[in-house]
Amino acid sequence: MASSRRTGRSRLTLALLVLTSLALLTLDFRDSAVVSSARRVASSAFAPLRGVAETATEPFTNAWHGITDYRDVRAENDALRAQLDRLRGEAALDEDAASQLAGLLDQLDIEWVGDIPTATARVVAGPLSNFSHTIEIDKGSDAGLRVGMPVINGAGLVGRLVQVTADHATVQLLTDPDFAVGVRLVPDGAPGTARGTGAGEDLVVDTGLEADAEVNRGTTVATSGADRSAFPGSIPVGKVRRTRAGSGGLTLDLVVRPLADTEKLAFVTVMLWPVEP
Amino acid sequence: MIPEGPLVTATRTSLVLAIALTAQITVASRIEVFEVRGDLMLLIAVAAGLAAGPDRGAVVGFAAGISFDLLLQSPFGLSALTYALVAYVAGSLQDSVLRASWWIPVATAATASTLGVILYGVFGSVVGEDLLGLPLLRIALVVGVLNAVAAPAVLRIVRWAITPAIGVRPRLMTR
Repeated sequence: MASSRRTGRSRLTLALLVLTSLALLTLDFRDSAVVSSARRVASSAFAPLRGVAETATEPFTNAWHGITDYRDVRAENDALRAQLDRLRGEAALDEDAASQLAGLLDQLDIEWVGDIPTATARVVAGPLSNFSHTIEIDKGSDAGLRVGMPVINGAGLVGRLVQVTADHATVQLLTDPDFAVGVRLVPDGAPGTARGTGAGEDLVVDTGLEADAEVNRGTTVATSGADRSAFPGSIPVGKVRRTRAGSGGLTLDLVVRPLADTEKLAFVTVMLWPVEP
Repeated sequence: MIPEGPLVTATRTSLVLAIALTAQITVASRIEVFEVRGDLMLLIAVAAGLAAGPDRGAVVGFAAGISFDLLLQSPFGLSALTYALVAYVAGSLQDSVLRASWWIPVATAATASTLGVILYGVFGSVVGEDLLGLPLLRIALVVGVLNAVAAPAVLRIVRWAITPAIGVRPRLMTR
């Protein structure tokens, strides 16, 4: 008798907890200010701890990687040196082309991505869980950062700001399945929407092109900067790896490798780009 | 002398949750095995179920989940829902065990943790997160193994927090 009473009470407790969880989920889906405020407060409270942990564990992490990844690191170092030499040559040519482009755009009064002011920030923490696709950076609203601003690195698009406190911000990585950005193919300009598919995975671009259209492997994909886009145009996003039939088989999807390696980010650049309210 | 009672238990449990959350974001999230991070908060929920039974375990699991949800950008309440259910199931499983061996709580922690990750993936997919697939299975299995390794120590700590020191002896050791 006592046992069945206890089981009944347990089930009642569980039912109440489930209902509370569902209520909280509903509040979150309705973009409740209560939830976002609570998250901002919690993030601010724990941000210093994450920074301290990063500093404290860095020597041990480095030592561990030095021991276990020495061979890989050395091979990567050799490859990077070769790549650097090649890029130095290309950079000299690009500098000339960029200055000519800037001059032309200036004459035509067209906004260029290179003119947008930026803020460089250090990555202080990676994703917190196996299903999290966010990183933490050490700059916030005090440095002019606002929710929605694009985040890039030297290679290309990294993500966008989804939470900003006074001195920290959270970046949603472009590999997040919830991340979507308007893109175009370079140079032919065919538009599409790129979506994340998970950490370390390729992006999928829904192009709207016919299923038998030809897109070369290695084609660059950049942000479209279309009207009301959340991002300015011409930020490199990735390179086409392969194509496949889209849902229904009528259109073409592109499988795109992101240019930015979101698994190994130390510093990122936030574009202080005006974000529509 | 501080009297033992619900207040002390609540204080201890809150302390353990705060320390566990700090450990999760500073240490466990940095340890990767086969590209899978540790999930200490899920283990706390499972341990609470094992130590205190389905009723109180579910409450602690819910608290562990909601505190973790505050720091994530995933749907708010998803971890709380999952952890409360997993703690409840772990507590119910423990209740049905007649004879305790040292490995039973460890095996239960591993199974419940694996189940917890899969459940999170299923619930996540229901609310629009794209989590189902082979990676989910890999994450679930690795988290199960990692949590089995950490289970004895975490169980001891959670048992200290949840079980009053006077009058009631720990459930796991007396069965």
